[in-house]
Amino acid sequence: MDLTPRPETISPKRRRWMPIIVLSLVGIGGVIVVTQFLSSAIDYYCNVDEVGVRSGCDTANRLRVQGTVEQGSLAKSDNTTEFKLVFNGKSLDVVYSGDPGGVFQECISVVAHGRLVNGVLESNRIEVKHSNEYEAKNKDRLENSGSAACSQVQG
Amino acid sequence: MKASQVNTGVSLKMSQSSQKFSSTGTQATRVIGVLAIVVMAWVVISGLVFTPADVVQGESVRIMYVHVPSAWIAYLAFIVTAIASSFYIFAKRHSLGFDRVAGASAEVGVMFMAITLITGSLWGRLTWGEFWQWDPRLTTTAFLFVTYIGYLAVRRLDGSIEQRARRSGVIALLAVLEIPLVHFSVVFWRSLHQRATILDPNGDVKMDGLMLFTLFSGVVAFTLVFAWLVLHRQRTMLLSDLSNERGLDNAILARQSENASN
Repeated sequence: MDLTPRPETISPKRRRWMPIIVLSLVGIGGVIVVTQFLSSAIDYYCNVDEVGVRSGCDTANRLRVQGTVEQGSLAKSDNTTEFKLVFNGKSLDVVYSGDPGGVFQECISVVAHGRLVNGVLESNRIEVKHSNEYEAKNKDRLENSGSAACSQVQG
Repeated sequence: MKASQVNTGVSLKMSQSSQKFSSTGTQATRVIGVLAIVVMAWVVISGLVFTPADVVQGESVRIMYVHVPSAWIAYLAFIVTAIASSFYIFAKRHSLGFDRVAGASAEVGVMFMAITLITGSLWGRLTWGEFWQWDPRLTTTAFLFVTYIGYLAVRRLDGSIEQRARRSGVIALLAVLEIPLVHFSVVFWRSLHQRATILDPNGDVKMDGLMLFTLFSGVVAFTLVFAWLVLHRQRTMLLSDLSNERGLDNAILARQSENASN
Protein backbone atom coordinates (compact mmCIF):
# COMPACT_ATOMS: atom_id res chain seq x y z
CA MET A 1 0.00 0.00 0.00
CA ASP A 2 1.30 3.48 -0.89
CA LEU A 3 1.27 5.67 2.22
CA THR A 4 3.13 8.57 0.67
CA PRO A 5 1.33 11.87 1.50
CA ARG A 6 -0.70 13.11 -1.45
CA PRO A 7 0.21 16.51 -2.92
CA GLU A 8 -1.75 19.49 -1.57
CA THR A 9 -4.68 20.39 -3.82
CA ILE A 10 -5.25 23.71 -1.97
CA SER A 11 -2.30 25.86 -1.05
CA PRO A 12 -1.83 26.47 2.71
CA LYS A 13 -2.12 30.22 2.13
CA ARG A 14 -5.46 29.81 0.35
CA ARG A 15 -6.69 27.40 3.00
CA ARG A 16 -5.90 29.93 5.73
CA TRP A 17 -8.01 32.62 4.06
CA MET A 18 -10.96 30.38 3.23
CA PRO A 19 -12.54 30.50 6.73
CA ILE A 20 -12.27 34.31 6.78
CA ILE A 21 -13.94 34.60 3.38
CA VAL A 22 -16.71 32.15 4.34
CA LEU A 23 -17.28 33.84 7.71
CA SER A 24 -17.44 37.27 6.06
CA LEU A 25 -19.94 36.08 3.44
CA VAL A 26 -22.12 34.44 6.11
CA GLY A 27 -21.98 37.62 8.20
CA ILE A 28 -22.79 39.97 5.33
CA GLY A 29 -25.57 37.68 4.11
CA GLY A 30 -27.08 37.46 7.58
CA VAL A 31 -27.05 41.22 8.08
CA ILE A 32 -28.69 41.83 4.68
CA VAL A 33 -31.45 39.28 5.36
CA VAL A 34 -32.17 40.57 8.85
CA THR A 35 -32.07 44.30 8.05
CA GLN A 36 -33.68 44.29 4.61
CA PHE A 37 -36.24 41.50 4.67
CA LEU A 38 -37.27 41.07 8.30
CA SER A 39 -37.74 44.71 9.31
CA SER A 40 -41.54 44.74 9.38
CA ALA A 41 -41.57 41.51 11.41
CA ILE A 42 -39.02 42.75 13.94
CA ASP A 43 -40.16 46.38 14.39
CA TYR A 44 -41.61 46.73 17.85
CA TYR A 45 -44.35 49.25 17.06
CA CYS A 46 -46.30 51.22 14.44
CA ASN A 47 -46.22 55.00 14.49
CA VAL A 48 -49.50 56.89 14.86
CA ASP A 49 -49.51 57.94 11.18
CA GLU A 50 -49.08 54.33 10.04
CA VAL A 51 -52.13 52.83 11.77
CA GLY A 52 -54.32 51.23 9.09
CA VAL A 53 -51.79 52.18 6.40
CA ARG A 54 -48.61 50.19 6.86
CA SER A 55 -48.37 46.43 6.56
CA GLY A 56 -48.58 44.90 10.04
CA CYS A 57 -50.50 47.91 11.43
CA ASP A 58 -53.98 46.67 10.51
CA THR A 59 -56.76 48.18 12.59
CA ALA A 60 -58.43 44.77 13.08
CA ASN A 61 -55.44 43.47 15.06
CA ARG A 62 -54.05 44.27 18.46
CA LEU A 63 -51.60 47.13 17.98
CA ARG A 64 -48.55 48.71 19.55
CA VAL A 65 -48.71 52.39 18.63
CA GLN A 66 -45.89 54.85 19.22
CA GLY A 67 -46.32 58.59 19.51
CA THR A 68 -45.88 61.54 21.82
CA VAL A 69 -48.42 62.41 24.51
CA GLU A 70 -49.80 65.76 23.31
CA GLN A 71 -49.36 68.65 25.72
CA GLY A 72 -52.68 69.61 27.33
CA SER A 73 -54.46 66.40 26.27
CA LEU A 74 -53.85 64.35 29.42
CA ALA A 75 -56.95 63.75 31.58
CA LYS A 76 -56.96 61.35 34.51
CA SER A 77 -60.00 60.04 36.36
CA ASP A 78 -60.32 57.35 39.03
CA ASN A 79 -60.05 54.38 36.69
CA THR A 80 -58.92 55.71 33.34
CA THR A 81 -56.27 57.89 31.76
CA GLU A 82 -57.13 59.63 28.49
CA PHE A 83 -54.70 61.40 26.20
CA LYS A 84 -53.95 62.15 22.59
CA LEU A 85 -51.01 60.45 20.91
CA VAL A 86 -49.41 62.47 18.10
CA PHE A 87 -46.77 61.66 15.51
CA ASN A 88 -45.85 63.11 12.15
CA GLY A 89 -48.90 65.39 12.02
CA LYS A 90 -51.44 62.64 12.85
CA SER A 91 -53.14 62.05 16.20
CA LEU A 92 -54.93 59.18 17.91
CA ASP A 93 -57.13 59.25 21.01
CA VAL A 94 -56.09 56.72 23.66
CA VAL A 95 -58.04 55.49 26.66
CA TYR A 96 -55.97 53.57 29.17
CA SER A 97 -57.59 51.60 31.95
CA GLY A 98 -55.65 52.69 35.03
CA ASP A 99 -52.77 55.05 35.81
CA PRO A 100 -49.59 54.41 33.79
CA GLY A 101 -47.45 55.68 36.69
CA GLY A 102 -43.65 55.82 36.47
CA VAL A 103 -42.28 58.66 34.34
CA PHE A 104 -45.41 58.85 32.16
CA GLN A 105 -46.26 62.51 31.45
CA GLU A 106 -47.17 64.94 28.70
CA CYS A 107 -44.70 65.42 25.82
CA ILE A 108 -43.08 62.03 26.42
CA SER A 109 -42.93 59.25 23.80
CA VAL A 110 -44.92 56.15 24.66
CA VAL A 111 -45.92 52.86 23.11
CA ALA A 112 -49.58 52.07 23.79
CA HIS A 113 -50.73 48.45 23.42
CA GLY A 114 -54.41 47.88 22.62
CA ARG A 115 -57.21 47.61 20.07
CA LEU A 116 -58.90 50.27 17.98
CA VAL A 117 -62.59 50.67 18.85
CA ASN A 118 -64.48 53.39 16.92
CA GLY A 119 -61.23 55.19 16.17
CA VAL A 120 -60.08 55.21 19.80
CA LEU A 121 -57.23 53.02 21.01
CA GLU A 122 -58.43 51.12 24.07
CA SER A 123 -55.15 50.37 25.77
CA ASN A 124 -54.26 48.08 28.64
CA ARG A 125 -50.50 48.62 28.56
CA ILE A 126 -48.42 51.77 28.26
CA GLU A 127 -44.65 51.70 27.91
CA VAL A 128 -42.71 54.93 28.24
CA LYS A 129 -40.01 55.36 25.63
CA HIS A 130 -37.51 57.77 27.14
CA SER A 131 -35.20 59.83 24.96
CA ASN A 132 -31.41 59.66 24.71
CA GLU A 133 -31.07 63.07 26.40
CA TYR A 134 -29.90 63.38 30.00
CA GLU A 135 -30.37 66.69 31.71
CA ALA A 136 -29.99 67.74 35.34
CA LYS A 137 -33.20 68.26 37.22
CA ASN A 138 -33.96 71.96 37.71
CA LYS A 139 -36.74 72.83 40.14
CA ASP A 140 -37.36 76.36 38.77
CA ARG A 141 -37.84 74.99 35.30
CA LEU A 142 -40.29 72.33 36.49
CA GLU A 143 -42.49 74.89 38.21
CA ASN A 144 -42.73 76.93 35.01
CA SER A 145 -43.69 74.14 32.65
CA GLY A 146 -45.69 71.54 34.56
CA SER A 147 -44.07 68.62 32.67
CA ALA A 148 -40.36 67.88 32.65
CA ALA A 149 -40.58 66.25 29.24
CA CYS A 150 -42.31 69.35 27.79
CA SER A 151 -39.63 71.62 29.24
CA GLN A 152 -36.99 69.38 27.67
CA VAL A 153 -38.73 69.52 24.29
CA GLN A 154 -39.11 73.30 24.50
CA GLY A 155 -35.44 73.62 25.53
CA MET B 1 10.27 6.81 26.46
CA LYS B 2 10.56 5.08 29.80
CA ALA B 3 7.98 5.64 32.51
CA SER B 4 10.52 7.21 34.82
CA GLN B 5 11.51 9.69 32.09
CA VAL B 6 7.90 10.74 31.55
CA ASN B 7 7.38 11.13 35.26
CA THR B 8 10.48 13.27 35.67
CA GLY B 9 9.48 15.47 32.73
CA VAL B 10 5.98 16.12 34.07
CA SER B 11 7.23 16.77 37.60
CA LEU B 12 9.81 19.22 36.33
CA LYS B 13 7.22 21.03 34.21
CA MET B 14 4.76 21.27 37.11
CA SER B 15 7.36 22.41 39.61
CA GLN B 16 8.53 25.12 37.20
CA SER B 17 4.94 26.23 36.69
CA SER B 18 4.16 26.23 40.38
CA GLN B 19 7.31 28.27 41.02
CA LYS B 20 6.28 30.68 38.30
CA PHE B 21 2.70 30.85 39.56
CA SER B 22 2.88 30.61 43.34
CA SER B 23 0.14 33.24 42.94
CA THR B 24 -1.74 34.36 39.85
CA GLY B 25 -0.99 37.93 40.86
CA THR B 26 1.92 40.02 39.64
CA GLN B 27 3.07 43.57 40.25
CA ALA B 28 1.02 44.65 37.23
CA THR B 29 -2.20 42.98 38.42
CA ARG B 30 -1.75 44.49 41.88
CA VAL B 31 -1.45 47.98 40.39
CA ILE B 32 -4.49 47.37 38.15
CA GLY B 33 -6.43 46.06 41.15
CA VAL B 34 -5.70 49.09 43.31
CA LEU B 35 -6.54 51.47 40.46
CA ALA B 36 -9.81 49.60 39.84
CA ILE B 37 -10.83 49.98 43.49
CA VAL B 38 -10.00 53.71 43.55
CA VAL B 39 -11.84 54.54 40.30
CA MET B 40 -14.79 52.32 41.23
CA ALA B 41 -15.08 54.08 44.61
CA TRP B 42 -15.22 57.42 42.78
CA VAL B 43 -17.94 56.10 40.44
CA VAL B 44 -20.05 54.90 43.38
CA ILE B 45 -19.72 58.19 45.27
CA SER B 46 -20.21 60.39 42.23
CA GLY B 47 -23.03 58.26 40.83
CA LEU B 48 -24.98 58.17 44.08
CA VAL B 49 -24.16 61.55 45.60
CA PHE B 50 -22.61 64.15 43.27
CA THR B 51 -24.46 63.63 39.99
CA PRO B 52 -27.89 65.21 39.63
CA ALA B 53 -31.15 63.39 39.05
CA ASP B 54 -32.41 63.47 35.46
CA VAL B 55 -35.14 65.95 34.55
CA VAL B 56 -37.43 63.18 33.20
CA GLN B 57 -36.17 59.91 34.67
CA GLY B 58 -35.39 61.23 38.13
CA GLU B 59 -33.17 59.12 40.38
CA SER B 60 -33.45 55.99 38.19
CA VAL B 61 -30.89 57.50 35.81
CA ARG B 62 -28.14 56.45 38.24
CA ILE B 63 -28.44 52.86 36.96
CA MET B 64 -26.82 54.18 33.78
CA TYR B 65 -23.39 54.39 35.49
CA VAL B 66 -23.38 50.59 35.78
CA HIS B 67 -25.56 49.54 32.85
CA VAL B 68 -23.73 51.34 30.03
CA PRO B 69 -20.13 50.55 31.10
CA SER B 70 -20.99 46.89 31.68
CA ALA B 71 -22.53 46.65 28.19
CA TRP B 72 -19.50 48.28 26.55
CA ILE B 73 -17.02 46.11 28.44
CA ALA B 74 -19.00 43.00 27.52
CA TYR B 75 -18.63 44.03 23.85
CA LEU B 76 -14.91 44.67 24.45
CA ALA B 77 -14.51 41.26 26.10
CA PHE B 78 -16.13 39.45 23.17
CA ILE B 79 -14.00 41.40 20.68
CA VAL B 80 -10.87 40.43 22.65
CA THR B 81 -12.08 36.81 22.53
CA ALA B 82 -12.42 37.01 18.75
CA ILE B 83 -9.02 38.68 18.25
CA ALA B 84 -7.24 36.16 20.51
CA SER B 85 -9.04 33.28 18.75
CA SER B 86 -8.03 34.57 15.33
CA PHE B 87 -4.40 34.76 16.53
CA TYR B 88 -4.66 31.13 17.63
CA ILE B 89 -6.31 29.91 14.44
CA PHE B 90 -4.49 31.93 11.78
CA ALA B 91 -1.01 32.38 13.27
CA LYS B 92 1.62 29.87 12.14
CA ARG B 93 2.48 29.01 15.74
CA HIS B 94 -0.82 27.98 17.34
CA SER B 95 -0.08 29.33 20.81
CA LEU B 96 -2.52 28.06 23.45
CA GLY B 97 -1.90 31.26 25.38
CA PHE B 98 -4.20 33.02 22.91
CA ASP B 99 -6.88 30.39 23.48
CA ARG B 100 -6.70 30.91 27.23
CA VAL B 101 -6.99 34.69 26.85
CA ALA B 102 -9.99 34.12 24.55
CA GLY B 103 -11.67 31.83 27.08
CA ALA B 104 -10.95 34.08 30.05
CA SER B 105 -12.21 37.15 28.22
CA ALA B 106 -15.43 35.36 27.19
CA GLU B 107 -16.10 34.29 30.79
CA VAL B 108 -15.68 37.85 32.04
CA GLY B 109 -17.73 39.14 29.10
CA VAL B 110 -20.62 36.84 29.98
CA MET B 111 -20.49 38.15 33.55
CA PHE B 112 -20.66 41.78 32.32
CA MET B 113 -23.44 40.89 29.89
CA ALA B 114 -25.43 39.39 32.77
CA ILE B 115 -24.93 42.63 34.73
CA THR B 116 -26.12 44.55 31.65
CA LEU B 117 -29.27 42.48 31.36
CA ILE B 118 -30.09 42.68 35.08
CA THR B 119 -29.48 46.43 35.41
CA GLY B 120 -31.26 47.06 32.11
CA SER B 121 -34.23 45.10 33.33
CA LEU B 122 -34.41 47.15 36.54
CA TRP B 123 -34.03 50.39 34.59
CA GLY B 124 -36.73 49.26 32.17
CA ARG B 125 -39.15 48.63 35.03
CA LEU B 126 -38.59 52.16 36.36
CA THR B 127 -38.86 53.98 33.02
CA TRP B 128 -40.80 51.84 30.53
CA GLY B 129 -42.88 50.18 33.22
CA GLU B 130 -41.75 46.67 32.19
CA PHE B 131 -38.87 44.43 33.29
CA TRP B 132 -38.63 42.83 29.87
CA GLN B 133 -40.01 43.15 26.37
CA TRP B 134 -39.01 41.20 23.27
CA ASP B 135 -38.01 44.32 21.39
CA PRO B 136 -35.06 44.24 18.95
CA ARG B 137 -32.36 45.53 21.35
CA LEU B 138 -33.34 43.33 24.27
CA THR B 139 -33.84 40.27 22.10
CA THR B 140 -30.50 40.59 20.28
CA THR B 141 -28.71 41.24 23.58
CA ALA B 142 -30.26 38.11 25.12
CA PHE B 143 -29.24 36.19 21.98
CA LEU B 144 -25.65 37.44 22.32
CA PHE B 145 -25.62 36.38 25.98
CA VAL B 146 -26.90 32.89 25.16
CA THR B 147 -24.40 32.55 22.28
CA TYR B 148 -21.44 33.14 24.60
CA ILE B 149 -22.85 30.76 27.21
CA GLY B 150 -22.85 28.25 24.33
CA TYR B 151 -19.25 29.22 23.56
CA LEU B 152 -18.26 28.48 27.17
CA ALA B 153 -20.17 25.18 27.01
CA VAL B 154 -18.21 24.17 23.89
CA ARG B 155 -14.97 24.85 25.75
CA ARG B 156 -16.06 22.23 28.30
CA LEU B 157 -16.59 19.48 25.73
CA ASP B 158 -14.41 16.38 25.87
CA GLY B 159 -11.25 16.48 23.81
CA SER B 160 -7.71 17.72 23.82
CA ILE B 161 -6.75 21.31 24.65
CA GLU B 162 -5.99 21.87 20.96
CA GLN B 163 -9.45 20.63 19.97
CA ARG B 164 -10.98 22.96 22.52
CA ALA B 165 -9.01 25.88 21.10
CA ARG B 166 -9.99 25.12 17.49
CA ARG B 167 -13.70 24.54 18.15
CA SER B 168 -14.17 27.54 20.40
CA GLY B 169 -12.02 29.73 18.14
CA VAL B 170 -14.34 29.21 15.18
CA ILE B 171 -17.40 29.93 17.34
CA ALA B 172 -15.77 33.09 18.71
CA LEU B 173 -15.17 34.38 15.17
CA LEU B 174 -18.82 33.77 14.26
CA ALA B 175 -20.31 35.05 17.52
CA VAL B 176 -18.51 38.40 17.40
CA LEU B 177 -20.52 39.24 14.25
CA GLU B 178 -23.57 39.60 16.51
CA ILE B 179 -22.14 42.66 18.25
CA PRO B 180 -22.83 45.16 15.41
CA LEU B 181 -26.30 43.65 15.13
CA VAL B 182 -26.93 44.30 18.84
CA HIS B 183 -25.44 47.78 18.79
CA PHE B 184 -27.26 48.94 15.66
CA SER B 185 -30.54 47.14 16.44
CA VAL B 186 -31.98 50.48 17.63
CA VAL B 187 -31.07 52.00 14.26
CA PHE B 188 -32.11 49.11 12.00
CA TRP B 189 -35.46 48.56 13.73
CA ARG B 190 -37.95 50.38 15.94
CA SER B 191 -37.11 49.58 19.50
CA LEU B 192 -38.38 50.47 22.94
CA HIS B 193 -34.75 51.00 23.90
CA GLN B 194 -33.35 54.49 23.39
CA ARG B 195 -30.85 55.26 20.65
CA ALA B 196 -27.17 55.80 21.41
CA THR B 197 -26.29 58.90 23.41
CA ILE B 198 -22.49 58.81 23.60
CA LEU B 199 -21.91 56.93 20.35
CA ASP B 200 -24.37 59.17 18.47
CA PRO B 201 -23.38 59.08 14.78
CA ASN B 202 -23.72 62.89 14.60
CA GLY B 203 -21.49 63.37 17.66
CA ASP B 204 -24.27 65.33 19.36
CA VAL B 205 -23.97 64.16 22.98
CA LYS B 206 -26.91 65.42 25.03
CA MET B 207 -25.82 64.72 28.58
CA ASP B 208 -25.10 66.82 31.65
CA GLY B 209 -21.33 67.33 32.16
CA LEU B 210 -20.95 65.56 35.51
CA MET B 211 -23.18 62.71 34.35
CA LEU B 212 -20.93 62.27 31.32
CA PHE B 213 -17.75 62.38 33.41
CA THR B 214 -19.11 59.81 35.86
CA LEU B 215 -20.16 57.58 32.98
CA PHE B 216 -16.66 57.68 31.51
CA SER B 217 -15.21 57.01 34.97
CA GLY B 218 -17.44 53.94 35.08
CA VAL B 219 -16.06 52.79 31.73
CA VAL B 220 -12.48 53.20 33.04
CA ALA B 221 -13.31 51.35 36.29
CA PHE B 222 -15.00 48.47 34.48
CA THR B 223 -12.12 48.24 31.99
CA LEU B 224 -9.65 47.90 34.86
CA VAL B 225 -11.81 45.23 36.50
CA PHE B 226 -12.00 43.42 33.15
CA ALA B 227 -8.20 43.49 32.71
CA TRP B 228 -7.61 42.31 36.28
CA LEU B 229 -10.06 39.42 35.97
CA VAL B 230 -8.80 38.28 32.55
CA LEU B 231 -5.15 38.31 33.64
CA HIS B 232 -5.90 36.21 36.71
CA ARG B 233 -8.32 33.89 34.95
CA GLN B 234 -6.04 33.03 32.03
CA ARG B 235 -3.31 32.13 34.54
CA THR B 236 -5.64 29.81 36.47
CA MET B 237 -6.59 28.29 33.10
CA LEU B 238 -2.91 27.63 32.41
CA LEU B 239 -2.59 25.86 35.76
CA SER B 240 -5.74 23.87 35.03
CA ASP B 241 -4.40 22.83 31.60
CA LEU B 242 -1.09 21.78 33.14
CA SER B 243 -2.93 19.83 35.81
CA ASN B 244 -5.04 18.05 33.16
CA GLU B 245 -1.88 17.30 31.20
CA ARG B 246 -0.31 15.79 34.30
CA GLY B 247 -3.43 13.69 34.85
CA LEU B 248 -3.14 12.35 31.31
CA ASP B 249 0.56 11.61 31.74
CA ASN B 250 -0.16 9.80 34.99
CA ALA B 251 -2.85 7.70 33.28
CA ILE B 252 -0.37 6.76 30.52
CA LEU B 253 2.20 5.85 33.17
CA ALA B 254 -0.32 3.68 35.01
CA ARG B 255 -1.23 1.89 31.77
CA GLN B 256 2.45 1.38 30.91
CA SER B 257 3.09 -0.01 34.40
CA GLU B 258 0.18 -2.41 33.99
CA ASN B 259 1.54 -3.64 30.67
CA ALA B 260 5.04 -3.99 32.11
CA SER B 261 3.81 -6.05 35.06
CA ASN B 262 1.77 -8.28 32.72
